[in-house]
Amino acid sequence: MDDYAIGVLTNIGLISFLALSAYLLLVAGEMSFGQQAFFGIGAYAGGMLTAIYGWPLPLAALGAMALGAFAQFLVGLPSLRLRGLYFAMATLAAAEMARILFELFHFQRQVEGEPVGPDGSQGFRGIRWVFAHGVEPLEYMAIIYAVLALALVAFLLVERSRLGATLRGVGEDPELAASIGVDVNRLKLGVAAAAGALAALGGVLYAHHNTYIEPRNFDIMLGVHSLAYALIGGLGTAVGPLVGVVLDIGALEGSRVFHGYRMIVFGGLVALLLVWRPRGLLDERAVQWLRRRFT
Amino acid sequence: MAKTALYLSLVLLPALAHAQAPKAQMQCKASGTDFVFDCSIRLTRGGKPLEGAQLTVGADMPSMPMAHNIKPQKARPGTQPGEYTARLDLEMLGEWAVKLRLAGPVRDQLILHYEFDSKGARPARK
Repeated sequence: MDDYAIGVLTNIGLISFLALSAYLLLVAGEMSFGQQAFFGIGAYAGGMLTAIYGWPLPLAALGAMALGAFAQFLVGLPSLRLRGLYFAMATLAAAEMARILFELFHFQRQVEGEPVGPDGSQGFRGIRWVFAHGVEPLEYMAIIYAVLALALVAFLLVERSRLGATLRGVGEDPELAASIGVDVNRLKLGVAAAAGALAALGGVLYAHHNTYIEPRNFDIMLGVHSLAYALIGGLGTAVGPLVGVVLDIGALEGSRVFHGYRMIVFGGLVALLLVWRPRGLLDERAVQWLRRRFT
Repeated sequence: MAKTALYLSLVLLPALAHAQAPKAQMQCKASGTDFVFDCSIRLTRGGKPLEGAQLTVGADMPSMPMAHNIKPQKARPGTQPGEYTARLDLEMLGEWAVKLRLAGPVRDQLILHYEFDSKGARPARK
């Protein structure tokens, strides 16, 4: 496999975490434009833990996930009282606040005679755990996909469980779910924390793949894309967001067919799909049809 | 004696390791084809030209890091010691985070921010 193929597949794997994070909130009936903030929190926290404090990457990933979950829980406490467009705007505002905080965040320490750590808008260089431990690009890609597979299996198990059915019920009609005894707010807060942890996990892996991060990496473009991947791929199954990522990064970006016009094609595709299939390619009806066909 | 050895290992060796970290400088000029630039990259290590490196050059747009990038190119050795050349096809002008992936005698990755315009490129930040 050549470097380019490894690079494209690695990017597909990394952005899939963010797409799954957005998908989780969509299934619960909430549209978040702010998942990039928790991706960024994971990237900064994980990068600091390995580059400054010398933590091993797996432990740093767990620490960053805990912080991502806590951060989205805190954002969720006030914002999940809102509904629809108001919730979307609240998450966008929170993400922009996080990005501006990254711009203002300076925390550098001397590591091997060199300043390492976040340096505001100058970014955070030297997240070298992967290079320092001799992990080859192909091996790192395999690690990303192994972790992604674990996350996907967890999603599929939850979707087939009572919790998954409750979650979809809350997403479709929260008042009805509340009337049969579901604690909607508590469930949504749990979902928000899980979505934050998942986005943060993607962020840690991204920071260590790239060795450098900066506040602009986590701006609204990333959040809009992650939401679009879930909406394109479909809300019927957790595989849907991954289909969305593969369509955009794999087919449009990877093939180079549309060259500099890719973003226009991508925007058109999103608009078309929202009219033609509002819940994406793999929506609930398509998933049920596939299940009947193959089981 | 033991204290001296400990001092050497704790203080001097990390400083030496830092001195061995590769550095890069890049100059690019427009090739005549839209958005295509011919770039010359000078690699040094400990102040001396770094030769024999296998250098792959890619680039990301900072605001869309995983979804807007270019196909990485293998750089060729240039005429000067530590010099490498590569052609970048950027799709559009503006700021790009140029990613230099080194293999061979040194394994590392360096990120350089450059602002590309119709004539060439200049560093976008320190």
